[in-house]
Amino acid sequence: MRFSTYIFIFLMFFSVFSCSDDVCNEETESTLNLVFIVNDTSLTNIDFIDNLSIYSPEWTDSIHFLDENESGDAVLGFMLSPYSDTSEIIITSKNATEKDTLIILTQREQIFLSKECGFIMDFLIDTVLFTLNYIDSIEINEDEITTAKNGEIQLYF
Amino acid sequence: MVRFSYIFSLSLLLFFSIYSYGQDKDSLYAPIKEKEPLVLKGMKVGINVGRFSDYLFKPERTSYEASFDFNLSNRYFGVIEGGLSETNIKKDNYQYSSEGTFVKAGVDFNMLKKYPSDYFGIGVRLGRAAFKHSASNLTYENIHWPTQSLSIDSKSYTTYWLEVSLGIKGELLKNVYFGWSALVRVGISGRKDEQFQPFNIPGFGKGTSAVNLGANYYIYYQIPFNKNK
Repeated sequence: MRFSTYIFIFLMFFSVFSCSDDVCNEETESTLNLVFIVNDTSLTNIDFIDNLSIYSPEWTDSIHFLDENESGDAVLGFMLSPYSDTSEIIITSKNATEKDTLIILTQREQIFLSKECGFIMDFLIDTVLFTLNYIDSIEINEDEITTAKNGEIQLYF
Repeated sequence: MVRFSYIFSLSLLLFFSIYSYGQDKDSLYAPIKEKEPLVLKGMKVGINVGRFSDYLFKPERTSYEASFDFNLSNRYFGVIEGGLSETNIKKDNYQYSSEGTFVKAGVDFNMLKKYPSDYFGIGVRLGRAAFKHSASNLTYENIHWPTQSLSIDSKSYTTYWLEVSLGIKGELLKNVYFGWSALVRVGISGRKDEQFQPFNIPGFGKGTSAVNLGANYYIYYQIPFNKNK
């Protein structure tokens, strides 16, 4: 076989890798988890966690669903605002008279993931400001929020 | 008698010394092979035909790449490659555009001995790209946050990388060569932007990856030199 024949065999082999579809099969949303730890008995008495919801003044809806992490603490996940470095989140419970507000200040990084998926937004939490109506303290456990890794803020009541 | 024996022994010693001196010169030492000096045998001008597959598989991208190499005794090749690339993508949730040029310089080493006009070998290049990119009409689909539109102004970058290749070239017609090479590119600097990560860097590939794999398919024409040698 001529040397040039080998060249064309390899050419055919490599051309197989040129195909792709036009569907985004990758994760595109970056999620921040709020972990709720309630030690205040006055809140446990009014089933604070069971009736908990969060919303933003910019939203037209709210989030009620609660999941649990490995430690059994209530977790609520959502995406921070992709359009602003500031996300305002209000925490409320059905039988509670007061509300608490979180103001989360971030740095945003826009990454062009692929032609199919377009851009994704990663966040880095700078500061969290909060009211003290029911919240006792907060702890930022994970300040980087990417499509591969969730951010996490622990809220103590 | 003692004197005769002494003279005879001395004569034998002298004879064998002279004989072995002759042997040294003729057969005990391998003849020293003189190294052939490197001769400029030609210059190849090539075009990367693999880039034309973009029309079929990546219609959003237009890119061209050309190569010049200087053939030194078909063993070493000084190589300069360069090109330009432009990307324009228009989708429902974003518009992205980038344009730039790149240049690579390095050497190829031919490992073939059996095919004096063909090539199978490895190469090393240092690459540099200068490009700019921008985006507009960016929207993020999220069930909570109301949809808005973002734009990112044009930003310019200069990127450097190191490239290692393994490839073959064969002479299809007189002085016309075809070849392909598999490439590994390792980013050195200028690849990252914390706010707006480049998608496709001309000549290097995906901006988010520190290491990119690729392949080139070239057609060359060799301008022959030293025809009389």
